Amino acid sequence: MASLYNAWGPILDLYLLQLGFAFSQYLVLRAGVFSLATAALAAIGAYTAGILAVKHGVHPALGILAGTGMGTAAALVLSWPLARLRGVYQAIATLAFVQIVLSLNIWAEGLTGGAMGLMNIPRVVGTPGLLAAAVAVTYIIWAIGRTRIGRTFDVIRENEAVAVSLGVSVPRWQALAFALSGAIAGLFGALEAFHSYALDPNIFGFSFLIATLSYVVFGGRKSVLGPLVGTAVLILLPELARPLAENRVLVYGLLLILVINFLPRGVADTLLDAWHRRRLARRSAAAAEALR
Amino acid sequence: MTGGLELRALGKRFGGVVAADDVNMSVPPGRITGLIGPNGAGKTTIVNLVTGMLSVSSGSILFDGRDITHAPAHAIARAGLARTFQNIRLMPEASILDNVMVGFHRHETSGLLAALLRLPAAARETRAMRDRAMALIGRFGLAALADHPAGGLSYGHQRRVEIMRALATDPRLILLDEPVAGMNDVESAEMAEVIRGLAAEGRAILLIEHDMRFVTGLCAHVYALDGGRLIAEGSARAVLSDPVVIEAYLGSPLDA
Ligand SMILES: Nc1ncnc2c1ncn2[C@@H]1O[C@H](COP(=O)(O)OP(=O)(O)OP(=O)(O)O)[C@@H](O)[C@H]1O
Ligand SMILES: [Mg+2]
Repeated sequence: MASLYNAWGPILDLYLLQLGFAFSQYLVLRAGVFSLATAALAAIGAYTAGILAVKHGVHPALGILAGTGMGTAAALVLSWPLARLRGVYQAIATLAFVQIVLSLNIWAEGLTGGAMGLMNIPRVVGTPGLLAAAVAVTYIIWAIGRTRIGRTFDVIRENEAVAVSLGVSVPRWQALAFALSGAIAGLFGALEAFHSYALDPNIFGFSFLIATLSYVVFGGRKSVLGPLVGTAVLILLPELARPLAENRVLVYGLLLILVINFLPRGVADTLLDAWHRRRLARRSAAAAEALR
Repeated sequence: MTGGLELRALGKRFGGVVAADDVNMSVPPGRITGLIGPNGAGKTTIVNLVTGMLSVSSGSILFDGRDITHAPAHAIARAGLARTFQNIRLMPEASILDNVMVGFHRHETSGLLAALLRLPAAARETRAMRDRAMALIGRFGLAALADHPAGGLSYGHQRRVEIMRALATDPRLILLDEPVAGMNDVESAEMAEVIRGLAAEGRAILLIEHDMRFVTGLCAHVYALDGGRLIAEGSARAVLSDPVVIEAYLGSPLDA
């Protein structure tokens, strides 16, 4: 048991952390916002928590709270200019935001440690803490899908004109999606800080962005299972063979192209849809039988 | 004027194209008001102006005595005004039930925190909305298909889902943009009954339709539009036999 944990523990931790970022990305996409800001919001959460702990000796619990709050606040501020943009322009604007946060992190050396990174963060978060956060966020995402929030996000994503014609204030609901996405990114960024001794600004860069997007596109954007499955497969895959691990971004890129072309709804959503269709067909057949 | 929709000298220009010009109309509650006109006459533009999806160039729009000319589209919907779309707009992969449930948006009141944590209040609300949606679907005879994806339905059934979604908002005014286009005679007769029932409930109805038999059968009062201008109004029979209206349709038979 102990040796099993030694071998798989770090991978489990990695999975739980990445799962949080995947859900942050999932939420904005679900509400029809094509944002790539999760990387930057995670960086804001991580550095908020890290700086408070290292420079001001703030208690980790407070640091995690502050990281979550800063992620939320940054997302809310960002949602305002973003409400005027659509589709690919949102993607470009949020990409610029990721770049700005990255540059600021390197520039503000005195505060963030610059390119050298922020060192000596107490490592107080282990597998149980990550697991608790991952379970909580999974539950919230599941709950959103079963209440009016999920219904409203879905109609906005599918057809904005319809949403508006039913009385939905699109900017307000997209700001909510954004704030939730920022809260989750900030929370898991802060957890990452307290899980890894040091923060390097480049972990929240382009490869982070590609990875989180890949988890969601690969797994699926609709059901809660999408990010759960997508993240699991894409984290485990590079563990199977060294060459895969060394070319992680390349492998993710190729997988993305394949999935977008052949399973555009993602692996988990496609399987769930097929299962749902079979159940409907069986029920219709049974009904027809009963009529005979 | 008590209640209903009131258009006063409404105008809309798209660059050089005048899509609505000095349009005066009223759509009173409890009655079905028709709006006819050849393709490109500006009928859908009127719906888009009233629902706030297009900005008004000139004139004003009153709804139940309130000026909604420049109100945001979602606020107009929340005030009790619903529409269907000429080109059907459903969530094709979602079930009929889910498509209808989103229509209840303006009646959902559970707190955001309750919804985020799926507290009992939010779960109860979802169950209540599902029951109301199922009742509506049953009334339209689609209960057996409630779990089927809307995108796979026949044209006539998809139009019904659109109307159910609009009705879920419980509107006092409903704008129907060609609700029986693509339906067969049986389906369109059923739809006529549904629309009559809505008027009997006291709702104001604006019906846009090319099927003149359908219009004559239902409408108390008809407006005819051509090139963005009203060219005739009055009883269906009077409007359809008006030479100007016949001319606008370029002699295409108006068998009423
Ligand atoms: N968003 C827009 N931008 C520019 N022109 C538009 C726009 N919407 C409509 N128009 C123009 O306004 C005129 C009226 O169009 P509208 O769609 O209202 O006609 P309609 O009476 O609904 O026709 P149909 O019977 O074919 O549905 C047309 O000339 C159309 O090209
Ligand atoms: Mg039209």
